[in-house]
Amino acid sequence: MTETSRTSEEADADLIARSRREPEAFAELFRRHAPDITRYVTRRLGADAAEDVVAETFLTAFRQRARYDVARPDARPWLYGIATNLIGRHVRTEVRRLRALERTGVDPVTAPFTERSDERVSAAAVRRALAAALAALPAGHRDALLLVAWGGLSYEETAQALGVRIGTVRSRISRARSRMRRELGGADPTSLRPTVNEEPIGG
Amino acid sequence: MDEMTLLENLRSEVPPPESADLRRVEERLTAAITGSAAAERPRRRSSVPFRRPVVPLAAAGTALVLLGGALAVRGEEPGPKGHVVHVMPNRSVEVLDRAAEGVWRQRELRPAPGQYLVFETESMASAEGAVGEDGAYGRYLHRGRRKVWMPVQGRSLDAVVVDTVLPARRFPGYPLPATAPRTTRTGRPERLVDFDQRPEHLRTDYAYLSRLPTDPQGMYRHLYTGLGEGEEAHRQAWSRVCDLLCQAYMPAAQRAALFRAAGAIPGVTVVRNAEDGIGRKGVAAARVDRLTGERREYVFDPETYDFLGERSVVVDAAAAGAPVGTVVSYSVVLKADVSDSAPTPRPRS
Repeated sequence: MTETSRTSEEADADLIARSRREPEAFAELFRRHAPDITRYVTRRLGADAAEDVVAETFLTAFRQRARYDVARPDARPWLYGIATNLIGRHVRTEVRRLRALERTGVDPVTAPFTERSDERVSAAAVRRALAAALAALPAGHRDALLLVAWGGLSYEETAQALGVRIGTVRSRISRARSRMRRELGGADPTSLRPTVNEEPIGG
Repeated sequence: MDEMTLLENLRSEVPPPESADLRRVEERLTAAITGSAAAERPRRRSSVPFRRPVVPLAAAGTALVLLGGALAVRGEEPGPKGHVVHVMPNRSVEVLDRAAEGVWRQRELRPAPGQYLVFETESMASAEGAVGEDGAYGRYLHRGRRKVWMPVQGRSLDAVVVDTVLPARRFPGYPLPATAPRTTRTGRPERLVDFDQRPEHLRTDYAYLSRLPTDPQGMYRHLYTGLGEGEEAHRQAWSRVCDLLCQAYMPAAQRAALFRAAGAIPGVTVVRNAEDGIGRKGVAAARVDRLTGERREYVFDPETYDFLGERSVVVDAAAAGAPVGTVVSYSVVLKADVSDSAPTPRPRS
């Protein structure tokens, strides 16, 4: 219809508020965020487990929409937080697959997408080292690290998602990075340049 | 590369999800949403039965047959017959997927009972018959604008229309007959139709459309209600999509389901560089009607995926009796809005 105007500027919070009266408005929130969240969960658990986790994430969010703080325009921290809790139920799957990658160099998570696999982005040794580091991290550290690295959340958003203080996020990520550097020290050194300037960690 | 960059690259070959996978997940959510909507908003049942005895009035000017006109009345549709169950095949058309997604970004009209949906459209249709001065056979392209007030709840018999006739166009290969309109002329408010013998499942009033399924599978079954099998069924199902889009308005959830369902109709393809009847560029989902030799295109805005209108283009000169590329009919939506009142129609003489 020519005169219908786009409401893509409508903030997530407005959508959620509207969905309390008009539940069907919630579907728009799914359309906005499901692609990214699906990819995020897939990277952590694999495609087979991701579908249920994503479905459950949005069903949970829908049921909890009355409790969303509409002062927060962007719903991503909320949604990623719910997804993170649900991923936690699959922690053994996640670690088992990371260990498999560490051991064999073959990644069960990316194997189904092999036709798209890009060897350039990470050499096998690097992948195995990173997998070792991720598998060894406490779950809360891994959550913080991957929300930033794969989820694209800021430290502040990660803190919201995990329900922890931003200082906690900083220290978790700092330790996770040290762990990765240690593991990578044993990996192909040519793929790594020493990080001279450690960026100050900030939110 | 520092360790964060290396980590960002890890598993970066995982692609964004396929739309079919997302749709499967979305359906689970939609089911929950719909359940909740039904619980929070009990359905209203229309107390007025739609089908009622009708007295067909003779159509004015029986020699002139307007093809593809926007009259709401159509008696040729057979009623439900047999028990052919149409299961939605697992296919989709990108344009219609985008349209389904676009629905949620568009301004939603929320007509209330007692109000009217007001549509302003421009259309062109092929007119043929004894249109020459001396009753000789002729063809031309009749064009008009119309503004229709459709009651949100209730029967199309209460709908009011103001028609504006626009200068006609020549049909390729035929001279413009003397009787064809050459000037713009706006009429007075009239009742849209004198009778409506459509079966229940072809109703297009908002109250009815609001109760249609919000899942693509359910909408697909609705499109095929009463249809048999094969090409003719698919042709009619595709045509019914237009009935639900042109001069009708359904809530976003149903509209999204309609686009997904339409994309599953066999034979539907994408036309990238499409154009609607008044020259607006767009992308279209289209289906060739082999019987008429025309391709029926539903055109969408390439950015917003707002529905712009429909158009029929000749693809088979022999079947259509017109050169390939001829636009034989179109209908574009100029405006859709809600109004509290409608003009009083002129009484029938």
